[in-house]
Amino acid sequence: MLTYFVIIPVLIAVFLFVFATNKAARVLAILFQSVFVILSLYLLWETRSGEIVVVIGDYDGFMGILLRAYTTSAVFMVLCGIIFLAVAVYSFNQSDSRTFWFLLFILQSALVGLFLTRDLFNIFVLVEVATVIVTILLMYDKKRRNMLPGLIFLMLNIVAMLLYLFGIGYIYMLTGVFDILRAGELLAYAYPGDLVIPYALIMTGIAFKCSIIPIFSFLPKVKLYPKAPSAVAAILSGVQIKTMVYMFIRMQEMFGGFSSHSLFLAVGIAASLTGVIMAICQTDIKMILAYHTMSQVGLIIIGLSAGNEYSMLGGLYHIISHATFKSALFLSAGIIVHSYGTRDVYKIRGVLRRMPVVGLVTLFAVLGITGAPLFIGSISKYFIAATVPFWLNATVVIISLGTIISFIKYAGVLFGKDPGIEGIAVKPDIWRVVPSAALGAFCLVGGIFGGFLVNFLFAADAVIDTWGYIEKALIFFASMGAGLLIYKYIVYGNATLKRIGGLNLGFRSVCASMAAFFGLMVIFVGLF
Amino acid sequence: MFFIALFGLITAKNAIKTIVFTLVMQTAVIMFWLFLSGRTGTIPPIIYDPALLYDMAAIADPTPQALMLTAIIIGISVTAIKITMLNYLFRRYNTADWELMHKLSAQEEAENPYS
Repeated sequence: MLTYFVIIPVLIAVFLFVFATNKAARVLAILFQSVFVILSLYLLWETRSGEIVVVIGDYDGFMGILLRAYTTSAVFMVLCGIIFLAVAVYSFNQSDSRTFWFLLFILQSALVGLFLTRDLFNIFVLVEVATVIVTILLMYDKKRRNMLPGLIFLMLNIVAMLLYLFGIGYIYMLTGVFDILRAGELLAYAYPGDLVIPYALIMTGIAFKCSIIPIFSFLPKVKLYPKAPSAVAAILSGVQIKTMVYMFIRMQEMFGGFSSHSLFLAVGIAASLTGVIMAICQTDIKMILAYHTMSQVGLIIIGLSAGNEYSMLGGLYHIISHATFKSALFLSAGIIVHSYGTRDVYKIRGVLRRMPVVGLVTLFAVLGITGAPLFIGSISKYFIAATVPFWLNATVVIISLGTIISFIKYAGVLFGKDPGIEGIAVKPDIWRVVPSAALGAFCLVGGIFGGFLVNFLFAADAVIDTWGYIEKALIFFASMGAGLLIYKYIVYGNATLKRIGGLNLGFRSVCASMAAFFGLMVIFVGLF
Repeated sequence: MFFIALFGLITAKNAIKTIVFTLVMQTAVIMFWLFLSGRTGTIPPIIYDPALLYDMAAIADPTPQALMLTAIIIGISVTAIKITMLNYLFRRYNTADWELMHKLSAQEEAENPYS
């Protein structure tokens, strides 16, 4: 049954491309996406009673390729389905060609495959497929001048995956299997010195792909976001990076006791701090959102590497919440940019008056990402920081403060007087408002029922301590006040910050930094 | 070889050279994988020899070779895409030098911000 989840999107893609007309294709696409969401919910229900393993080919044991669905992967598949459904509805009137749907379905197939597969080499192939398709989706509109950052993005990703391929060669040499779980069991008996190089190779590749190596891995990517279509940006930030975070979890599991959590804790902290600092420096609304992807992924990695149950749950739930509010933000930002004709955060004003629903969605999502009480971000941030040592807790608070400052800037677009000059002042397209509104509403629903959802989705029994939660809420309001003050007196219109925000790295320097990170990792892992 | 290619990627100024160095890097990885499968004295798995059919030690491990075929195909197609994109960029900016391309695209950006 799991095989069909991967194969059917491909068949549908071909079917839509060959047989359907442009008009029929979009209706059918939405229909198929809805069916996919329902089926993946059913799969989630099935995995409750134990994991499902399917062997492709009639081989016993670890000779064939294994697909495995268990709770976490099923949750991510539901998430993937929901974001793709939202994107499909969002693009209903926008994309007038079947090629878009073709690429979208192939991409979905690759991402679902990544969530299900247990085979190390499959991961390589599927990641390459996903990278190429994302690049094509970004290049789709030649007028947008996206070609140079696109080329750099593609080449760097290829280099990162070559590092990964080199690493799994070592794994195969040591264990003789490609199955992640079996390799994990066998690696436990390996001599630790043998594992240094493969670990460094694989984790450099994966960390590069999920953009947690501070700054230089994200800079080439970030240039793509402003000109990318909002729907593609939502997929890129909402789902594609999540697949790599999921790979990160599994690779850490595979290396078991050998894997270094403290290194990635530091890397996560560095990533989220640089992410928020760079976000504060931006004046382009999509750039602000793009840099926040980096900081939030850093936060997820902090949660996953902190080494206790609650933080792990928080990290996993933060993947869901980040996917929700970031897609909502990107989709609504697409509507805003379309209506105002500019991306300058200081020029857009009065969204709440011009488009009340879109304004509300943005407000909800902003409250979600800043971790306001009752919204979705607060639950995951609460879990991440619930049982960690004091210094880490303080770091998380500082990161939230940075988030709040940059989103005060972002939320400025909601209020004030409508400039009304450059505006095309059309009524926003209903097909674009509805999915954004649904995702925005989920920011609130996921917050109110947060405790229940965490336990239901990840089959855990975590308790939210009321007093702890209230304490977090108080901290939130305090940092809100501090953020307002800092924004008003330091950040607003600061020229130095704008210069930092314009930082750019070429292909060569990024490659050099990747090599440096690899060296650092070999030294760190080798010594400790 | 892998690290020579990495060094090349860091130092090459021309984008064409960068693409060539990615190919070198890929070849290095493929060679490494083939080295995994074939120990000295083993025969290639496509030669049919009834005497050695069940002698696992005598035949080279076919799995890495099969996988590398996939990797080579992926590499070829990705290189094709890269060259196509570079071709487009070359027509636009009339250069394949990374720094010049960055400079020209930044100029374009400055002329027409936020669009």
